[in-house]
Amino acid sequence: MTNALPRPISGALSPGTTQRVNATLPIIVAAASVVLAARVALTIGKAPLPPALAGDMLLSWLGLPARHWPESAETILLQIRLPRIVLAGVVGAALATAGATYQGVFRNPLADPYLLGVASGASLGAVLAFILPIPRDLLRIGVVQTFAFLGGIAAVIAVYLLGRVGGSVPTTMLLLAGVAISAAASAATAYLMYIRGDQLLVIYSWLLGGFNVASWQEVRLVTPLVLLSIAVMVLGGRVLNVLQFGEEQAATLGIPVEPVKLALIAAATLATAAAVSAGGLIGFVGLIVPHATRLLIGPDYRRLVLTTALVGASFLIVVDAAARGLPGPSDIPIGVITAAVGAPFFLVLLRQQKRAVFW
Amino acid sequence: MRTRLVPLFTLLFLLISSPLVAAQTPAPATPPALCVATPAAETAASPLPPPSPYQGEGSFPLVITDDLGREVRIERPPTRIVSIAPSNTEVLYALGLADRVVGVDSYSNYPPEAAEKPQVGEYIAPDLERIVAAEPDLILATAAHRETVLPELETLRLPTVVIEPLNLDEVFASIELVGEITGESARAREVVCSLQTRVNAVEAAVAGAPSTRVFFELSPDLFTTGPGSFIDDLITRAGGANIAAGVGEMWPQLSAEAVVTADPEVIILADHEAGITPEQVVARPGWQGISAVAQRRIVPIVSDLVARPGPRVVEGLEAIAAALHPDRFPEADS
Repeated sequence: MTNALPRPISGALSPGTTQRVNATLPIIVAAASVVLAARVALTIGKAPLPPALAGDMLLSWLGLPARHWPESAETILLQIRLPRIVLAGVVGAALATAGATYQGVFRNPLADPYLLGVASGASLGAVLAFILPIPRDLLRIGVVQTFAFLGGIAAVIAVYLLGRVGGSVPTTMLLLAGVAISAAASAATAYLMYIRGDQLLVIYSWLLGGFNVASWQEVRLVTPLVLLSIAVMVLGGRVLNVLQFGEEQAATLGIPVEPVKLALIAAATLATAAAVSAGGLIGFVGLIVPHATRLLIGPDYRRLVLTTALVGASFLIVVDAAARGLPGPSDIPIGVITAAVGAPFFLVLLRQQKRAVFW
Repeated sequence: MRTRLVPLFTLLFLLISSPLVAAQTPAPATPPALCVATPAAETAASPLPPPSPYQGEGSFPLVITDDLGREVRIERPPTRIVSIAPSNTEVLYALGLADRVVGVDSYSNYPPEAAEKPQVGEYIAPDLERIVAAEPDLILATAAHRETVLPELETLRLPTVVIEPLNLDEVFASIELVGEITGESARAREVVCSLQTRVNAVEAAVAGAPSTRVFFELSPDLFTTGPGSFIDDLITRAGGANIAAGVGEMWPQLSAEAVVTADPEVIILADHEAGITPEQVVARPGWQGISAVAQRRIVPIVSDLVARPGPRVVEGLEAIAAALHPDRFPEADS
């Protein structure tokens, strides 16, 4: 079976060419970039840590002689910085993969993980958690994260129920339902923020997104969900390729379109809801990372999904390190940096699309 | 003639109320109205009952209940304290603990020397790494940190106490709590006593005066403070009638119509530092008929004095009272 495919409707930026790339090389390179990004990110932060601390700790763990380090430095590195880096990687992978999947399912290069209302639903859930008098000891895990997660899922379920027609979910209906539910959830969120203005600062700080209170517990909760979802989406790579021809064509080729769409959307939603509950609303990752990856390795979804996950992980690790390391009294909100990087990239993308389609 | 009545009233009030004050805050041998420092030897000789409502034992290790109902165990008087809220920093400095403070948030700017301390990030979401790097044995937080850094601080087993006073009495109680935690109970009682004296003086000075209708402007889009809020408590004690008293929320936004209808006699501008001047208020269309505008009783106030639940709220109270009843505070400047 040849690796070459006709150019799909969405995503390819070099019209008329096909890409023959060694299947596993991009994945290995992407994985290496994640490790490299994490290693560099370990050294970045505003707390003064002894140089080569990680090296010393590794030597000591191996039983070799090494310099001593203060306990506070170990706590900072292992209990604060490392889980933060891991969480940023997991969230980046989740958002990027979900974005790639949505772009494939909806055959639309402008699709991002928040398309079906996850963001608005999660915001509403988080705000409810902030203002309702829920005892914090009720759940062993964070109340806000749980409510945000459930809110995101609930929004997409509402969109699905609203958008389905008989046994199928026409794409147009789904998108329109997404707009409607997003608007309703945003309005409710705004109203709640208005009547509880005393919580405004805290809520807004959460919405802006960031990993400054990442912990190993959060990592343990979020990672399995994200890994499961990414696995489903990676397995759907071949089907996504076929879907690019159109749903009818895919059906005539024997693909059970509706169940597959449902499974992929569900997986992408799960990953996005988990990502938002852990990191707040971080934009642009799900939109631009899939495009950047396509530029590098081409539009074949069998490779694209997994590579996008890895590229998304290293991207957000780097962005989080920048948020931590850039000068200022506190961390810069991650959403600001992703927007600063994403918006120009997106403008360039748009120009290229115009040239490709309209010349 | 009138000027001599004020100190007379104050003295009378203090003499009458000093037994009441003594009942609330059990005092050493010296009368509490004079707020004299208690020598350490005296404290040891006659062990004092702990200040209410916290059930600390007064000696270490002790277990206190903070303002979120959390029980926190303090092994020994802390020597490396990190404050992640400007109000807590002011309390620490008022208790003379400047040399024990090893980290503050970026908004802690009073007293000015507090800003020189190592910074651990901004108020709502401080930098966990820098907090841990400061190696604190006590962290003073507020309820706003409940969803942000508090869970992680607990996971890291750093003793954290949440201070969240909702009215003036609770501010005094929180100062005493911090005093107890840091082994400075006597000093705390001194501070609270002198603050309480000033509060009593204000309440005495405005006693009997007809309450003044006031609009407390928090922002140019007319956000104000409603019943149950901290500032509302100060307004009431200063002899004012908050025009937002009938609104059910703590931080309502009034319409211009509502303000004009309520016709406040004084407008206090807490957004003055954000650039709102009395001249701008006068120029607002439709506002000319308001008594406060007609009589030019538009008073800017330093917002930190009422926004930070620390020792300086008493200054805020005095400023509000002087704005509401200038005839009762002739020696106060504009």
